[in-house]
Parts: sequence; structure tokens; C-alpha cells
Amino acid sequence: MKQFYLYILTLGCVLFFFQKSNTQTAHVEGIRQNTPRVHALTNVRIVQSPGKVIEKGTIILRDGIIESVGEKISLPADARVWDLNGKTIYAGLIESYSDYGMPKQEQPQRGGGRPQPQQQQEQPRGAKYWNEKISPQTNAMDIFSPDTKSAEGMRKMGFTSALVVPPKGNIKGTSAMVNLGDGKTNELVVKGNVGMHASLDVDFFSDGYPNSLMGVIALIRQSLNDADWYKKANDAYKKYPSLTRPETNDGLASLQDLISQRQTLIVETSDELNELRAKKIADEFKLNLILRGNGYEYRHLDAIKNLKTPIILPVNFPKAPNVETPEDAVNVELSEMMNWDNAPENPKRLNDAGVQFAFTTSTMKEQDKFWENIRKAVDRGLPQEVALASLTTTPAKMFGVESKLGSIEKGKIANLVITDGDLFKEKTKILDVWVDGNRYEITTLPMVDARGTYQTTINKEEFTMWLKGEMDGLNGSLAKGKKTTDSNATKLSSVSLSQKMISLSFSGDSANGMKGVIRMSGTISKDEILGTGEMSDGKTFSWNAIRTSPFVPEADTSKKKKEMQTATYPQQMFPPTVFGREKLPEQPEYIFVNDATIWTQSAQGKIESGDMLIHKGKIEKVGKDLSAPKNAVVIEAKGKHISPGLIDAHSHSAASGSVNEGGQAITAEVRIADVIDCDDISVYRELAGGLTTANILHGSANAIGGQNQVIKLRWGMMPEEMKFEGAIPGIKFALGENPKQSNWGDNFTSRYPQTRMGVEQIIRDEFQAARDYEKSWKEYKEGTTLPPRRDLELEAVLQILNKERIVHCHSYRQDEILAMIRTAEDFGFRIAVFQHILEGYKVADAMAKHGAGGSSFSDWWAYKFEVYDAIPYNGALMHNEGVVVSFNSDSDELARRLNTEASKAMKYGGLKEEEALNFVTLNPAKQMRIDNRVGSLEVGKDADFVVWNESPLSTIAMCEQTWIDGKKFFDRNEDRAMNDTITEMRATLVQKILKEKKGDGGGDGPKKKWRGEYDDIYDHPSKGMDNKN
Amino acid sequence: MKNQNSKLQITNCKLHMNVISHWSLVISFFTLLFALNSPLYSSDQIPGKKQERPIALFGGTIHTVSGETIENGILTFKDGKIEIVSKSMMLPPGYERIDCKGKHIYPGLFSSWTTLGLFEIGAVRATRDASETGRINPNVRAERAVNPESELIPVTRANGVTYALTAPQGGVISGNAAIIQLDGWTYEDMTLKAQAGMIVNWPSMRISTSFFERRSEEDQKKDRDNSLKEIRNAFNDAKAYWMAKNANKIVKHDSRWEAMIPVLEKKEPVMVTANEMSQIEAAVSWAEDADVKLIIVGGNDAWRVVDLLKKKNIPVITDGTHRTPSRSYEAYDTPFLLPKKLYDAGIQFCISADEGGDGNYRNLPYQVATAVAYGLPYNEGLKAMTLYPAQIFGVDNRIGSLEVGKDATLIVTNGDILDIRSNVEMEFIEGKKVDLTSRHTMLWEKYKTKYGKK
Repeated sequence: MKQFYLYILTLGCVLFFFQKSNTQTAHVEGIRQNTPRVHALTNVRIVQSPGKVIEKGTIILRDGIIESVGEKISLPADARVWDLNGKTIYAGLIESYSDYGMPKQEQPQRGGGRPQPQQQQEQPRGAKYWNEKISPQTNAMDIFSPDTKSAEGMRKMGFTSALVVPPKGNIKGTSAMVNLGDGKTNELVVKGNVGMHASLDVDFFSDGYPNSLMGVIALIRQSLNDADWYKKANDAYKKYPSLTRPETNDGLASLQDLISQRQTLIVETSDELNELRAKKIADEFKLNLILRGNGYEYRHLDAIKNLKTPIILPVNFPKAPNVETPEDAVNVELSEMMNWDNAPENPKRLNDAGVQFAFTTSTMKEQDKFWENIRKAVDRGLPQEVALASLTTTPAKMFGVESKLGSIEKGKIANLVITDGDLFKEKTKILDVWVDGNRYEITTLPMVDARGTYQTTINKEEFTMWLKGEMDGLNGSLAKGKKTTDSNATKLSSVSLSQKMISLSFSGDSANGMKGVIRMSGTISKDEILGTGEMSDGKTFSWNAIRTSPFVPEADTSKKKKEMQTATYPQQMFPPTVFGREKLPEQPEYIFVNDATIWTQSAQGKIESGDMLIHKGKIEKVGKDLSAPKNAVVIEAKGKHISPGLIDAHSHSAASGSVNEGGQAITAEVRIADVIDCDDISVYRELAGGLTTANILHGSANAIGGQNQVIKLRWGMMPEEMKFEGAIPGIKFALGENPKQSNWGDNFTSRYPQTRMGVEQIIRDEFQAARDYEKSWKEYKEGTTLPPRRDLELEAVLQILNKERIVHCHSYRQDEILAMIRTAEDFGFRIAVFQHILEGYKVADAMAKHGAGGSSFSDWWAYKFEVYDAIPYNGALMHNEGVVVSFNSDSDELARRLNTEASKAMKYGGLKEEEALNFVTLNPAKQMRIDNRVGSLEVGKDADFVVWNESPLSTIAMCEQTWIDGKKFFDRNEDRAMNDTITEMRATLVQKILKEKKGDGGGDGPKKKWRGEYDDIYDHPSKGMDNKN
Repeated sequence: MKNQNSKLQITNCKLHMNVISHWSLVISFFTLLFALNSPLYSSDQIPGKKQERPIALFGGTIHTVSGETIENGILTFKDGKIEIVSKSMMLPPGYERIDCKGKHIYPGLFSSWTTLGLFEIGAVRATRDASETGRINPNVRAERAVNPESELIPVTRANGVTYALTAPQGGVISGNAAIIQLDGWTYEDMTLKAQAGMIVNWPSMRISTSFFERRSEEDQKKDRDNSLKEIRNAFNDAKAYWMAKNANKIVKHDSRWEAMIPVLEKKEPVMVTANEMSQIEAAVSWAEDADVKLIIVGGNDAWRVVDLLKKKNIPVITDGTHRTPSRSYEAYDTPFLLPKKLYDAGIQFCISADEGGDGNYRNLPYQVATAVAYGLPYNEGLKAMTLYPAQIFGVDNRIGSLEVGKDATLIVTNGDILDIRSNVEMEFIEGKKVDLTSRHTMLWEKYKTKYGKK
């Protein structure tokens, strides 16, 4: 018998026959089982590690360990010999991120609008961290429980080990590397405490803290600070036992290895920007980092490359979007099509960029697509060796188990995969998987190969019989006499194989000279079949058949040469989405604006037929009859109007993962800066309306909200590059209906504060706490106390009192405005800007005296009770009393036309045109303390300007160009061309999808990138919930 | 039935107050009571008196809208009707003469999609009257719940909006919209046309993959199909009722189907809210089956199906221009261009303005201006907020342009009506002089006094 494994096919039934395990420490019940665990796998192709192949060799396994491997190895006498001729052995694959064996999580509820308040939570059991989202004390090893069914499923894919990760929280605890056998936990765990896991996942539908991305980041940062404090406090206490006893906190104790770099942080992310965010956290605390990626890395490849961080990479390629009908296609975003087209190349591009990664099935709903996707990645240019490494050696090294797992070498754990061919070929089957030296059969092949040409005698007549097809799916035919071809043969009506017994039947006809149905069965041994048969008349007979020639498979004619697939639009775009460019806008050395009406918004006033010279992004000259340097880029602007770039003092664009951290009444620690979404299409649309700078604010769900971030709309640049350099930090406060939850529904009636009285008090209380906090550090420095805990919330609030951080205070009613002014005065600082401030006109004198700016809606009113007295004359009235006034958008839509919002200050209250335009240029710049850089067209300021075809105050004005730092970030002509390109790209990709859909592939895809929608629920004024504004 | 309902609500409300010892709720309840009693809740403006003397406006630029624009022209009106629109003429005696040199005269503007009078403060439930409970409400009528004292009304008309379609919302069939004019003592004074349109909300045809969608794909499909069935069933049942009634076979009254008769008789159009391509297509095909007169409201994707709309002769009330594109890949100016595209395709359309909540229907001309900035001819822009809505609702015999015999509803401005910087200086509705002050101007005046500026 040449073939080795020859059995019957029973798919899905996995037989394993290693002995019942005896753990090394546990008590043994009953009879001990001590079958020798020595195996010789021989005559087999061995892929020891990527690129290291023994074409024909032997592996000796002893007691679960690879004893030896090589070409010429003598078989030990005690070994059970497995002749694996024609097969290939790989090292067992490693699943690099899994919830295998972890307690099942309830799926968080999705949708349905505003989150419901949580039941008052019981205090958690044990001395843990105060917030249950921080759970570093959880060890996967402690909660791991092997699950036969899941293990089987994973083995089918070739996995023999998995990194198992605790499922809950933003700091989840430590992972463990486990083998995927059916033994006991004690045997299966290869390594505990592999790394400390965190996640930037947000529970948006929770009312608890945190329920925003920036809240999650703040909480992780705070807990890491607390861990540092915990050590210092305990050290101090040990030294001076008379100090206040520091609290006992298992959570913080469990973070010590991480913050002292004895442990790696592994962060789960849902898009590539989150990977950058995770890296920032790791850098802040000098942590070793591994990322659990998401499949979007290719979009910001350079940034990902620069992280120099290994990635655990899901191979979750998106499903082809539904573009069957034009109606369906209309609703598919181009970015979705692009992702479908590009995502399978993500591994290749990461590899080309030198990023190290390990594969995982994590995030895949349809795990059976795993191999399909791996092969797709290889088809798309990922070298096979790298793909294999990503499943073996790379994760082994990443997780510090390279001495035990990942390759076939002496001394390593006997985890193996046996296949009938190259793993990366489509039809290759995984036959067996070995875990810890125990065999698990994956594909049960028939025990014999019955195929071939036979000479047989039936009822004393000579016949030729052909058995063909698959080993486990036979068919055949029969012809009288000795024949060389089966062209005129009678088809067998049934052929089946069970163990080594073959059964067949055929109909009698004139060709074979028999009648009725003839049934036969027989046992196959080597090349002979011996058995009995029954004629249609019930007469039995015995028969035998001799195989005269082996089966020769027919040449596969259906196999066409597969064309190498590539993404149709693989170029890196800036940003990598619609309306992205192939290159970032350049900054010409000189720009000359010729012969325009220039609204300088400075002492120079409005210059008719004026010129402006820009040098290296700064304004060098503004005036009449200037001359242009030779190499200047000239903007011929006769008949055009030039205004400073517009500035929005209140925006929520370009922020990921909710602009409200609504989980607490005070969240001063959260930072918009952490969640800037540079790819938000709003940025481009706002540029098209002449906007160049925006104050991205936290929402107004709480009395003290988060920290703001001023950005320039540098479309195509990275989050850090969008930030307005040197802008003074700020923070959002909110008064009135939103922080007191007036319009949140009947379930929200218990969080403090519920009245304006309470709002005033909680803010005062916080300021006092900040002063106390400051004092505690002073006392500590004087050397008499336990070190204080670094408190990110109070630190930010203290910066307000120390005038290092300015307050943007959402407010409507005059009483709350006045009370806030008095609070600030009592604490010795000024409120920089009252936001919205729709009753500012009632206390404009007090605001002016205090020195606060007012940033208002031009004309919104009546969407809730506290804005029933809002009037469009508000801006003018405040302005006339000496308040620095701006008009803001608070809306991705309104932000596109702030120029005509300014006109409303002329309509309602009769301001002069330049005063009005100041409302959206110089005044917001003053409010944000950036008027030294932007807000007017003056010498030395940034070259942020807009080219209009009309007066910017005209409702029929159109923005033609928008420049920032002397770089053109919007051009209407270019925009028209981009629209044409987009139309063309869509059409091309739709065709491509339709073509490929015939053989639909792909998985469920990463979750759609998400931002912002959440705010709409809260914020559309007509819905009467306006936490944002 | 109705009484029972309201009783139930009262009990619920009491229960509420007893169970929740919640101060802010109590306080806001009293604040509200106070507000309801305070004079501020009723607008202070006094409705205009019936025109007694004929009035002549001379010297201004008359934008007739339907015909040519007349520079330095003369327009007279008598007993609430336009009498003369002319280049120049001798004025007979007895006319109140108003010098309009340098001014512009336009027909009063028509905001064609609002909840004016039905909504006061979005966040305060007691002031919301636009959505009845249940899904099939063809019997409710907007005009009967219009609060003539709404502070939103004087604010809206101060910018030249003299007519509004006010429409119920919610459910599948929301009820009957009405055209009101924005000055009068009672809703009856104000109603220009009741049963101006039956509002039907077309279900979303697309399967949402939004993060917030709680329903499975299957459930979404089921909900969509149920809603579609509901629409079909309602109209089929109404038709059966109508036929039975015509045959004198009706035994018991059904208020819902009674209210549908004008729709089936094609005296009242069906106004279907539909923005997406597939919604619009489905609505058009349904309307043909149901044999009703269709108006598409919203129509964000209408430009994608212009041929169909043109062929079937379906008018579109666009949802303003001040909105963001529905999809990221769409050009930033997609909403700005919609009116022009409909105009170019020869489709009957008008522009409505729903911006920043119910308080800002006053911004209608500026939404139109954006369409003009992006290519809609100027006079078409004017028509899109005057004559076209009047034609769509079949009231152009009375309003919509400055033509002899039409109602003397017009505005006099100190500049181009499309420009924010212009102000409306005079306004007449059916010849009655309209008070242009509002809660806003009154508070303005009041606080100017505080700062000694007056």
C-alpha cells in the first residue's frame, strides 16, 4: 500500500486518539493511561519556518515536544511511525488575538437614540479601580476555560495556539497564550501574562463614564497616572508609616509591571487614527506597544509606518457593497468601494512599508473566510513567507514564546499542521493538526484509494471496470471484455466506499447482456477486490477484480491562469478619502494677489484695487500698486474680493467618537485634541465656504466639559498637523438646560446638578477643589505628606485659575451669565468667551466690564425654553456695548456660510460692513487669542485668505479659493475636476464589483468608520435637545 | 374615544407629578404656567385692519415675478386686490400715496413647508401640536390647531414671508396641511386654503448600516414593507369607502376615509416626503397606481430622476439649499444646485426653508439666494418662493405674483430681497398693513433702553 492515510470520509467528525490526559499535579481517578507519546512523522515535506524547507524529512515527537527534525533521522524504536509521503508539515499556526475560552460578553445594545441612565451601580466587589472599565487585575489565565467546540473550529483553520484576551473594559487585563488542544487549562496555557490589554472601544450607549472616545483616552491616562502614584505613595508610606495610609487597590497594583516596562501594552483599535491615538498614550507613559489593528492601516500608511509598532492584523476584508441597482449604488459611499478594493492589499502594503504584523481572525464574523482572505492577501502581493510568518514566527516572537512556538525545531512544543499541499493554494486541505504532540484529525480521508482500471469477472464473463472521481466521491463504469477506453461503457448507477468495503450497482442492458439491477460489494486490499454480488433474479455470485492500472486524473482544463488582482486606485491620497489629493498643496515662495477688493479687517480698511504679497506663507505687503516678484504665483483678482480666512469660534467638526463626554457632570480631563478626525468630509466642505480656522469644542452635556482644540482646516494633513500651533488651551463650560439635563427625558432627573443653582455651585466647588489640589502639591513639596495623585481633571481646572487655560462657556440666560461672571471674578479670572450667549444682550454691559467675548448664533431661537428670548439683534447689541462679538456655526452645515451669517449683524442692528465681517474673522481670532496670527490681512500674519466672486457679505457670493498658510486648500475649478474623477472612479469600481460579485467573496468587513452621528441625536435644535450648542 | 384619551393623559400626568418628586420638573412646569399666562406668550402685534382707502405705491422697482420687472413703476390696490401695475400713470385722487423711490416691491413670500402655528418651542412638549399619535391620521387638519398668537409668526413675516404651508408631521399619513397667511385674529382669518395637501411620509427604502440602527437588516426590510403596505392599504380602504359611499352603501362613518375623499377626487394633492432616489421612484409609481395627484416634498435626490419627474409631471418642493450633501462623495454644492437642475429639466418646483428649527422660516429668501448664487436665474429664484408654490397648490389665481386682480399681498424692501442686508419696510396682506414688529424687535427696543441708546 503506497498511500498512507486511506480511510473513509466522515467530514466534520474529528477523531482523536491521544490518551486521556494525566495532569502533572492532579489526582488521577481510575486506571492510569500511559500510551507512549512518541511519534515519527516521516517521508514528509517539512516547512520548518518560512523559507526553511526540508523536502523529505522526519520529525520525532516525544511527550509533546519536538525531539528532532531533519532529513536523515533514524526512527526510534519506541516511535509510532506515520508515513506522510506527499504531505507537507508546517508549524502550528498562532491565532494572535482571540476571546477563545473567555467568559461570553453580552452584546451591547445599539441604536435607539439617547442612552438610558444606568441603574445605580453597586460598588464592585474587591479592592479594584473605581471605574470598572479599568480592570488590569483580570488575568486571562484565571478566567480561561477551554471550550472543545471552539477549539475544534480553530484547529480546522490550522491554529494550534491562541492569544486569549480578557473581553471587558478599556483596560482589560493580561492575556495568555494557550494551546488549542482538548486538555486541561493547566496543560494548555503556554504562557500567562503575555501583555496588558487595552481597548479604545467606546460604549456609546452607556450613561456611565466614559461614553466617548476622548473619555476613554482620558480614563486610561488617568489610571496609568494613578498606577504611578500608587507606587510612589506606597513607597513613601513604607518609609514613613505615620503618613496617611494609601488605599489598597488591586487594579493599580496590577499596572505596575506595565508602567515599569516589564510588560507590553496591547491596544485594540477600530480605525487607523485610533492606532495613532494609542501610540500617543504609550509614548506619554513610555510603554512598549503592540496594536490590534483593524484593516484600515493602508489609508494612513506613512503614519502607521512611523509608529514603528508591531500590529496584530485582522484579515477581515470587507464584503463587496451592494451596487446591483443604480438606487443601491447611489447609497454606497465611494470610500466604501475604495475600501473594498484596497483592503485586501493592506497586508502587502504594510509589509512593503516594513511594518511587522501577525494575523488574526478577530473581528471576523464569518471565520470560515479566514483562509480565503489570507489567500486573497497573497494574491494581492503579500509574499507567502510573510503570510506564513504572520501566522507562526512573527506572533511567537511578538508574544515572547518563540522558544516554544512558531517553528519546527528541536525542543519546541509539538504543534504542527499537516496539509496535502501548499497552504496558500486554494484547494489545499488541512488534514491533521497536532497540538502538544497529540493528533487531531481534521479531514478524514478514505482508508483506501479505490480508483483505477480493473479487470473483473462477473457471472463468468470478463469485464473491464473503471473507478474514477474523487477518493471520497467515486463514480465508475463497466464494459464487457478487455477494453482500453470507457467511451461505450455502462455507467455504474452507484458506487460507495465504507472503510475498505466498496459497494456498486448497475443496470443490465444489451451491452453487458444482463437484466435488471445488479448489485455487488467487495473488500479492497491493495490492488484487488474480492466480494459477492446479486443478480436481478436473486442469484448470488462471487467476484474479484484486479487493478491493472492506477487512476490518472484528467488534465484540469477549467483552470485558467489567474490574473494578478490589484486595487484600481491604490494611490495614497491626502486625505485618503473623497476629495483627497494625490499631493498636499504646495506653498509657493511668493504669491501675489493682483487688483482685488481687499477686506483687510485692519486699520487699512477695505482696499479697492488692492494688491497683497505673500512670502513663505506670511503676508508681506498689503496695499495699492504693489509689484510682484518675478517668481510669484499671481492670482489675477480683478473684480474679486479677498477676505481673511473665516474663523468659526464654535465647531464640532473633525472630532471622532462623540463630542460629548456625558458620563459625568465634570469632565475637564477629556481633550478634543485626542480625537481630531483629519478625514472628516466636513473639513473640505467648510473650506469650500471659506473657513480656515475652527475652534473644536466639547459638547455641553456637562457643567465643565472637555478641553477644546483650535485647528486650521489643513485638509489632507494629519491630526497633529491640523492643530493651530501655540493656540492657548481652552475648555468648555456649560450652563442652563443642557448640564441640568432638562431635555434629556424623564429618566434623567438625579444627576447633580438639576437646577441652575446647582450648576453654579458645582462649578464653584470644583474651583475650590482645584485650589486644594494645588495646595496638596505645595505641601508635598514641603515634604510632609503622601505624594498627591496627579489628577487630570483638577489639573485642567487649576490651569483656568492660573490663567493658562481659557473658558468657553455655553450659556443662554442672563442670570446664569451674570452668576458665572461673578464666580470667575471671585476666583480671580475672566471668562474668555461666552458661547451662544443668546441673552447676552441683556447683560452686555456686565460682559463688557468683565472683558468676556460673546460668540453667538446669529438668529437661532425658540428651539428650547431658554432661547425663547433669543433675538438676532443680540450680536449688534453686545457689540455696541463693547463686547468682542463673533457669530459661530455649531454646525457642519452653517460653518460653510459664516460670511453671510456676518451679514445678519448688518440686517439686525445696522452694523457697518467691516464690523460685521469682523464677527467671523478678527473677533473670533481675538476670542481664541490667535489674533496675532490670523483674523485680518496684515503684514506678518498668516496668509489665510479667501477669494470671493462678490462681496463676502452678499448672499450670492461664491467662494472660489481658500488659502491657508499660503497654500491653496480649496479651488472651485479643482473641485469640479475632482467631482469628475469621483464620478469616473465610482463607475469603474461599480463595474469591478459587479464583475467580481458573480463569485462573491470577502467577510463582513471592519465596522464602518464612525463619527459624529451621535451628536445629531443630541443636537439638532428642532429636536429640542441641544447638548452641542 | 377622544375624551377617554385625554382623560388618560391627565391621569398619567398626575401620576407623574406624584411619583417624581423632582424639583426641576415642578419648577419648569410652573415656569411654563407662568409663561402661558404672561403677555409675552401672546404676540403683541395687532392684526392689520381691512383696507379702507386705495393705496398707490410709486417710484419703486416692481418685481411682478410673472411678467417683466418695472423700474420706477406704480402699483395700486383697492379693497385688498391689486388694481393697477404700470410703468407710469396719473394717479386719480383719493389714494394714499406711498413714495417707494429706491425701494423694491415683491409679492409676499410663500414658505412652502413649515409647522408654523403648530410648534412654538421645540423642547417644550406642551407647545408641540404637529404630530398626532398613531400612524394613519388623514382626518387631522393643521389649520385648526394654528395658534395665531405664536411668536414665530410675526418673526417670520418680518422678513417678507406672508404665506406658509403648515403641515402636520409624523406617522405614515400625518394629516392635512393648510396654507395660511401670516396675519389675522383667528385661524379662520388666516386660512387661505385648508386641505391643501395630504401629508404622507414615505418609508426609508434603504437598509441602514448606521452604527445606531438597532434593527437587523431583516427587521428593517419588514418595517419598510409594512409601512409601504400601510400606505397602500389606507388608500385602498379609503377608495372602497368612497365607492361604497357613492353607491349609498355606507352604514357607519369613518372619519379617516371621509377625509381622504378630496384626495381621491384629486381635489387635494398628496404631499409625499421623499428624499432618496428610491423613495421618489417608489412614490411616483405608487401615486400612479393610487390615481392621486402627487407632490414630492424634500426631493434631495430629485435631480437624479428628473426624466421620470418630468414625464409624470410631478412638482417638487425642495428642502432648501442650506443643508449638507446626503453623501460624502457628492459635491459640496449638490444642495445648492438642486433648484437649478430642476429648473433646467423643466420640472415644476419651489424652494422651502427649514433651517435652525422652526424659528427661522424667515431665512427663505437667503436659501433661495444660494440657489441663485449657484446658477438659478434670479427671477426663477423669486418665483420659487412666490408664484411657483402658489401654482403647485393651485392658489395662483389669488397669490404669487403682482398682477391685476390678485390679492394685494406684497412687500416693500430697501434692497434686493435675496440679500440679507436688505430689510422689509412695508408689508401688506390682502391690502391690510402688517405690523412688522415682533418679539425680537420689542426685546431689542427694550434693551436699547437699558443701555440708553434710545
